[in-house]
Amino acid sequence: MSAFIQGSYWLGVRSAREALRQPAIEFGNIFIPLFFFAVTVGAIGEASARAFGVENYLAFQLPVAIMQGIAGSSGSSGLATVTDIERGYFDKLLLTPAPRWSLVAGRLGADALRLTVIATLILIAGLLTGSGFASGPAGIIVLLIMSALFGISYAGIGLAIALKTGSAQAAQLGFLLFFPLLFLSSAFAPKEFFAPWLEFLATINPVTYILEAMRSLVIEGWDWGALVAGFACIFGLGAFTMTLVFLALRSRAAGS
Amino acid sequence: MPAIAAERLTKHFSPDIRAVDGIDLDIPEGQIFGFLGQNGSGKTTTVRMLTTLLRPTAGEARVLGLDVRRRAPDVRRRIGVALQEAGLDDLQTGRELLALQARLYGVPSSQVKRRVNDLLEIVDLVEAADRPTKGYSGGMKRRLDLAAALVHSPPLLFLDEPTTGLDPISREAIWRYVRELNRRDGVTFFLTTQYLEEADRLADNVAIMDAGTIVAQGSPSALKASIGADVVTVRLAGGVEQLLRAESVVRSLEGITDARTLDDALVIYVPDGAAAIARIVLLLNAESLEAREITVHRPALDDVFLRATGHHLEADASVPAAAAGRGR
Repeated sequence: MSAFIQGSYWLGVRSAREALRQPAIEFGNIFIPLFFFAVTVGAIGEASARAFGVENYLAFQLPVAIMQGIAGSSGSSGLATVTDIERGYFDKLLLTPAPRWSLVAGRLGADALRLTVIATLILIAGLLTGSGFASGPAGIIVLLIMSALFGISYAGIGLAIALKTGSAQAAQLGFLLFFPLLFLSSAFAPKEFFAPWLEFLATINPVTYILEAMRSLVIEGWDWGALVAGFACIFGLGAFTMTLVFLALRSRAAGS
Repeated sequence: MPAIAAERLTKHFSPDIRAVDGIDLDIPEGQIFGFLGQNGSGKTTTVRMLTTLLRPTAGEARVLGLDVRRRAPDVRRRIGVALQEAGLDDLQTGRELLALQARLYGVPSSQVKRRVNDLLEIVDLVEAADRPTKGYSGGMKRRLDLAAALVHSPPLLFLDEPTTGLDPISREAIWRYVRELNRRDGVTFFLTTQYLEEADRLADNVAIMDAGTIVAQGSPSALKASIGADVVTVRLAGGVEQLLRAESVVRSLEGITDARTLDDALVIYVPDGAAAIARIVLLLNAESLEAREITVHRPALDDVFLRATGHHLEADASVPAAAAGRGR
């Protein structure tokens, strides 16, 4: 086993253990999206068919709840890294011969696992309330993979800020960025019903394509075009955020 | 081959902040080397450069023969480090933390458990091993941090102010481990401290750091002998004016090697201080200067520090009184 894989594995175990020992943090990341899910569906669900032609608004909103839960939970990566930096534990890890990148990979690996659990729990809540799932069990697996990949890509923003600044307040900005991205997407209605300026912003917003890919699995079945676009956006976001993480890690490891 | 060799090692954080300003080090293997200085003198910056956490601005440094810039991963593999703040993860137990450290250093899986148990015994943490470190006292955290630095049996250990803020019992425990490891296993120690007593009691050789430069270096006994005189401290009735007048008067006495006004006292260096006291008092009386208190002592590291830097070593305010006392 190479030093990178070994280091990533053991640091991943440590991060997973950290999450298990603080279950209250994850409770909020599941409860809040489910609360918004219930309220949004309750407020708009009855009118959605007449207003913008969405028959099953519960299914339409389920991917939004999943993405909210994941974006919220992925912020923990940056905050946990800030805690390590503040306590001096990150320096201790930097002093080991473990490859630098494994310090990040271990945490992101554990995040992927944690985010999959969160997505699964929100999905179960949606299924129990009658959203249905058009693409079946295989589609559920694809949706969970998509959720985990989106989560670790998005976690990169908070992680990069944490590594660069060592500040908890700054690292939280990573999560706050998600709200404008979500509201400027087709989260609440198909973008064709938006005002032209908002439709334009939704069209260039990657969150729109990730949501539509997830929705296609829940509502329509296998829409390969939507899936390719969704995964492309996730990989694009991931490439961008991991580049930021790499640069921030290099800067911190060099000690300025 | 020296354990640590540095030539003109320099770290500037901006053109104005010269944290370390061209220091030279040559530390043989098997030595306990004390790096003495007060907060902000450049000790920690030096440690961070030697342990590859900080890139030097200029100069060269080799640790166990390896260049700290070009061979940083190899340096890290061969050294142990306990930084100033015991860097621990509050959510892990002591045992988990040591096991993770062992795995990151590549200790074979079959040996991890035994190594961790051995280390827990060495630092007397067997009973607390399965509790999260969040509940550990300051002394326990330092001991665990020391154990973490030892997990891969390094031949060279950097301890950055390992006893700062600890109570006397915990401090003694750390000193005991350091001595044992040095004598039994030949581990070389680079130990920074702001406590004279610590440097005096532990170190084979000491470097005194002030404002980013090394101002004195040698064994504690040689440094103390370099003063070449006893130290007589005189406190006078009156204020600074009287002190300065007394300094000028005393300098005229035969045999006085140096005299300095420091805070509220006049410090006089003179061979055979006990015999000189009477002469000093008579001279001061003749000048209508009233000595309220006179003490004489053999030179201590504090006197070396004072001679080299022009000021006393002011240890951290949180230090227990005994640790801040003078070394002898």
